Amino acid sequence: MSIIYIGDRETGKTSLALELANPSSQNVHVLYPPYSQLKALLYRDDLGRTQSTDANLATYDRNIEVEVTLPAGSKKIHTTWIDTPGEIWRSSWQKTNPELWNTFLEAARNSEGVLLIVPPYREIIRPDDRIDLDDFVTQQQWIHRFDRWVDFFQHDCPRIKHIALCLNKADLICGVDLKQEAQQLAYHPYNARKNWMQRHDYVFKRFFQPVRSQLAQLNQRASGLAVKCFITSIQNRELLELPWIYLGTYLQHES
Amino acid sequence: MGNICIIGPRASGKTTYLAGLSYFNDYAGSRSSYKVQPLNDDACQLVEMAENTILQGSSIAPTRLGDRIHTVDDLPYYSFQIEIRKGLFKPPNILQLNVRDYPGEVFEKILQTNHEDTIYTEFIDECLMADVEGCLLLFTEWESSKDAFYSKLLSRFIAMMDERDRLKNYRLAVAMSKCERGEIWPGRLDPETDLFGVYLKKTLKTLKGKLPPQNLRFFAMSTFGVLGRYDPRPNRIDDYGSGGRASVLRDSPRWNPYNLIEPLDWLHRS
Ligand SMILES: Nc1nc2c(ncn2[C@@H]2O[C@H](COP(=O)(O)OP(=O)(O)OP(=O)(O)O)[C@@H](O)[C@H]2O)c(=O)[nH]1
Ligand SMILES: Nc1nc2c(ncn2[C@@H]2O[C@H](COP(=O)(O)OP(=O)(O)OP(=O)(O)O)[C@@H](O)[C@H]2O)c(=O)[nH]1
Ligand SMILES: [Mg+2]
Ligand SMILES: [Mg+2]
Repeated sequence: MSIIYIGDRETGKTSLALELANPSSQNVHVLYPPYSQLKALLYRDDLGRTQSTDANLATYDRNIEVEVTLPAGSKKIHTTWIDTPGEIWRSSWQKTNPELWNTFLEAARNSEGVLLIVPPYREIIRPDDRIDLDDFVTQQQWIHRFDRWVDFFQHDCPRIKHIALCLNKADLICGVDLKQEAQQLAYHPYNARKNWMQRHDYVFKRFFQPVRSQLAQLNQRASGLAVKCFITSIQNRELLELPWIYLGTYLQHES
Repeated sequence: MGNICIIGPRASGKTTYLAGLSYFNDYAGSRSSYKVQPLNDDACQLVEMAENTILQGSSIAPTRLGDRIHTVDDLPYYSFQIEIRKGLFKPPNILQLNVRDYPGEVFEKILQTNHEDTIYTEFIDECLMADVEGCLLLFTEWESSKDAFYSKLLSRFIAMMDERDRLKNYRLAVAMSKCERGEIWPGRLDPETDLFGVYLKKTLKTLKGKLPPQNLRFFAMSTFGVLGRYDPRPNRIDDYGSGGRASVLRDSPRWNPYNLIEPLDWLHRS
């Protein structure tokens, strides 16, 4: 049983997983491995950022132990977190590495859930001299990219049960105040303001309208649950935890 | 004694039904009242599942063959004691419900007969074993294309009953699930005529042609139900783009399932 992170390069897959282990946890607590160990492995102090994931392997498996606080009580989950390099989505890479691509497909098909990490597009990035807009795709490219995601899930991975779609780097989005968003979407095991449907609805209507037909297509899959939309940022603990709480409700108790 | 099977195609609402049943473990509605007591670990987890998913506005996950599930023994197995009361002076109907939660895809695949020694044969064997009183069959879609498919499935199922000498001694409760949907809610009062007789004509004919009338009964039920007695709006929200196949409970404080116990009550009657 595993959870796989997929998405293009630089979208924040590795950072999100690393930060999940940050001890500042609230409702998702990574018991193993310790944050310091992961950080030593994944973070480059000299660059002040995560090491981009090397595409000489298609999948990086790590056993993790997570405790999630759910309405019916807390749940300890033993699972494998699979990190993947964004590089594998380039068709040139897929052509030159057919075997690795197959390893990846195999891992994805056998995963219990997928965290699909997508970046914000250029048009919604907030104006800031420190942000280079060229690092971000245009809205049109972003929409086209979703056509390919639909293709992937329909043809290559039709049986995935859970897809958590995360619009990451939400801190860079114009008009987004992370604190406020986190309050809107806040999770609480007993008296949350919104339930999963309402959270999804809120995020979907605010951020995913341009790809609504693609999401509808994904939801037509004969099996598996509907895609749930999230916004995430490594700068906000609450938002970062949400997709994991959602997936955690479906993962098996440790036995 | 008391074994009952619950089967039906994919996404017909089997697991949600079981979760609803165990969540409403002390139910007193206008039509019936009952108590449900879980008797094993799986059954206890089902209540948690209801609290973590249905009540939180998300769906129960599809039951599927795969990673952990290869033989019927790997499937969740739920055991409950159910006490149904139907009035002050009548003795309660007490039944022990032992059910395995089958993936709908196993049922859908009984049409492909070349499944020697696989989960499909195990499935049929288990459903039609001598100590099984009968079966609750859930259907949910009512398009005419589905009618032909359901009817074929049932012909096959009935043939298998016959092979195992169960044709005349096996009860079949056939239910239209998710009946809170506006188009079919009015048909719930006489499901045989107004639901199966209208939408699933072939299926109805196949069933009535082969089974003794006293062993066949039609039901309409909904685990989600409607918003209130005087507010017949469905208590559900459809997942976007899923064409109504996937939905979640809309208003959990107003959750009031419809007709969950009636088919079981009928199935277990000496
Ligand atoms: N502002 C902001 N930057 C982020 C966020 N998440 C990740 N980053 C930055 O984005 C860059 C890429 O992050 P990674 O986690 O390495 O991205 P990745 O998806 O693993 O990339 P590959 O391994 O190349 O596929 C790093 O500089 C991160 O610090 C976020 O939420 N907000
Ligand atoms: N509208 C409505 N939807 C329901 C009801 N019961 C279940 N559902 C939804 O129907 C979908 C399928 O429910 P499941 O309980 O997983 O169905 P299943 O028959 O166990 O499906 P498999 O395990 O795949 O065979 C989910 O999206 C449920 O939320 C109901 O009473 N009304
Ligand atoms: Mg990475
Ligand atoms: Mg099921």
